[in-house]
Amino acid sequence: MTKNEIVIDVKNITKKFRIYMDKGSQLKERLIFRKRNRYEEREVLKGISFQVKKGEAVGLIGHNGCGKSTTLKLLTKIMYPDSGEIIMKGRISSLIELGAGFHPDMSGRENIYTNASIFGLTKKEIDARLNEIIAFSELEEFIDNPVRTYSSGMYMRLAFSVAINVDADILLIDEILAVGDTNFQTKCFNRLRELKAKGMTIIIVTHDLSTIEKFCDRSVWINNGLIVCEGRSDEVVDAYRNFMNQKRVESEPEPIKENPEPVEEKADNNNNNNNNNDNNNIDYSANRFGLKYVEIKKAEMINSENKDVRIFRTGDALSVKIHYHINKPLEEYVFGFGFYTLEGECLYGNNTQLDRMKINSKKTDGVISVVIEKLPLLAGKYVLNVAVVDSDGTPMDFYRNYCEFEVVSDDRSTGYFSIEHEWRI
Amino acid sequence: MKTLKEIYDYRQMVFSLVKKDLRGRYKGSVLGFMWTFINPLLQLVVYTVVFSLILKTNIERYYLYLFVALIPWIFFSASLTGGSASIVAQKDLVKKIYFPRQVIPISYVTSSFVNMLLSFIVVFIVIIFSGAGINFLAVLCLPVIMIVEYMLALGTALIASAVTVYFRDLEHILGIVTMAWMYMTPIMYDKSIVPEKLLPLFNLNPMTHIIGCYRDVLYYKTVPQLSALLSSFILGIVFLISGHFLFLKLQRHFAEEL
Repeated sequence: MTKNEIVIDVKNITKKFRIYMDKGSQLKERLIFRKRNRYEEREVLKGISFQVKKGEAVGLIGHNGCGKSTTLKLLTKIMYPDSGEIIMKGRISSLIELGAGFHPDMSGRENIYTNASIFGLTKKEIDARLNEIIAFSELEEFIDNPVRTYSSGMYMRLAFSVAINVDADILLIDEILAVGDTNFQTKCFNRLRELKAKGMTIIIVTHDLSTIEKFCDRSVWINNGLIVCEGRSDEVVDAYRNFMNQKRVESEPEPIKENPEPVEEKADNNNNNNNNNDNNNIDYSANRFGLKYVEIKKAEMINSENKDVRIFRTGDALSVKIHYHINKPLEEYVFGFGFYTLEGECLYGNNTQLDRMKINSKKTDGVISVVIEKLPLLAGKYVLNVAVVDSDGTPMDFYRNYCEFEVVSDDRSTGYFSIEHEWRI
Repeated sequence: MKTLKEIYDYRQMVFSLVKKDLRGRYKGSVLGFMWTFINPLLQLVVYTVVFSLILKTNIERYYLYLFVALIPWIFFSASLTGGSASIVAQKDLVKKIYFPRQVIPISYVTSSFVNMLLSFIVVFIVIIFSGAGINFLAVLCLPVIMIVEYMLALGTALIASAVTVYFRDLEHILGIVTMAWMYMTPIMYDKSIVPEKLLPLFNLNPMTHIIGCYRDVLYYKTVPQLSALLSSFILGIVFLISGHFLFLKLQRHFAEEL
């Protein structure tokens, strides 16, 4: 076979599933409740075509239910398309179900024979590969023990070793590369690279986009049973990630619950402290503490569409709006906010005093906003703290972990902040 | 033809599944694999007690007369009832991995067949100890009869297993069908007592001929009639071919139906 030969040719395949409202597969039900056999036809694939050349690694991506796993099942011939055609050249092996047919009472060695036979290997072929399979699984000492004595990691290692040593021309992989420890995963990937270099064609279905970027030459993005785009993996993955982020930001439900009740209890305690008028009694370890001369009624996180949400995109506008109530007027109020990691590490914090502002409102209720034009935080989950203190820094209402929020990002940098940069050579 | 070659390529899978089935069958029992031999022996004891002490028959060595017919029948009925459930039972495999689906009923029937072969060891021991004697020339025909029965059993198992996927009642219906089928086959009685009117029906039943052949060889110690063997052979081929094609057609939607 030449390098450029097309080994997988998928021609305009469609697939419908019947979703039964109330399926009776028994005679009685079929006869008596004939009307109950109503079903809904759902078109999972609406005409998909793509080609794969020998030695290529292609990733199939898309969100849940988009049809990528169905496509893979059609490729393995577990199912057949309703229309269209799939032409595959060469022996096919699949890493869809690991450890198929493993019998717990049989030894690892015997299970290698059973499992490999399910992939269509003859005894002779298995004999020839046996040592390699055992060596790859790193289970030499345990290979004659019954499989039921294995840990789940050992079990998966054995199963993966068999599947990867089948020597197929085409390997189909579905979401199962999370095998064993990191070392073993690296080993698996190296092995896959070796196989690919030898000319094996590989198709991977996964949600792990970094795997796709690292490993696949090309990717196909499927949405609602149709191909959205295909091409170089990094480009397709970027387009997909962008689409998914947009979708998440848009679909995020309306405002989220305020902080849980324990905080309120603390607030009451603090109120007692307040009555005692003893600054030293402030419980600084609480989530919310302070003398309550000024109280934070609520804080909002406003996005560019003027909605209070908890999910943002890097580079989007974000305003933190603090609603406050004054119980006992002070000369000066200092408002602050901070972004923290979930582990409690401060990423950024600032207040009106540091920014050399003087706030002395006479109104009992008011709002103060801090506007961030371009949110620099990278993808991840963060915590918002809000606080109001007096000019000496004595806490009036210090609200730790006010809420969590999430940032999604097209920026693939690591760390917490996006920094404008470019590379020069 | 391509399918047949593929099934042949997966012969190791058949072998593995048969081995797993035979080993797993008596798993956890104290006597383990010995049950393969004890089971038919105990059945023999029961039938002997019933038919020589209670329901007296005038067939000489009735226990042997029955035994040589019962063991092949058990193989056939197990293939039919167990075979019908075989694909549903392996649905995890069918839904997740590609392999020629025929492998499953083939393995099931083969494992029942191996079980029958092992039971035949007991049959021969009984024949020797009963002093009935053996006609070696006739025994040479035995493998042919067994192969014909295997074809018949496999053909029916292919049909039953594929249809059961779509229609689960079949498994239970077949329980009754095999019972009726057993009484419609001269196993416990002689074909000579069958009323004239019903004879055509009995002759259509392929198992009538096959049981007759077993009995010719092992009980009457004669070489079976070629015509009986030939007609069951033709029926075996017909069952196998129609089973094969029906299975091919039905297996396309297995993964969705399971």
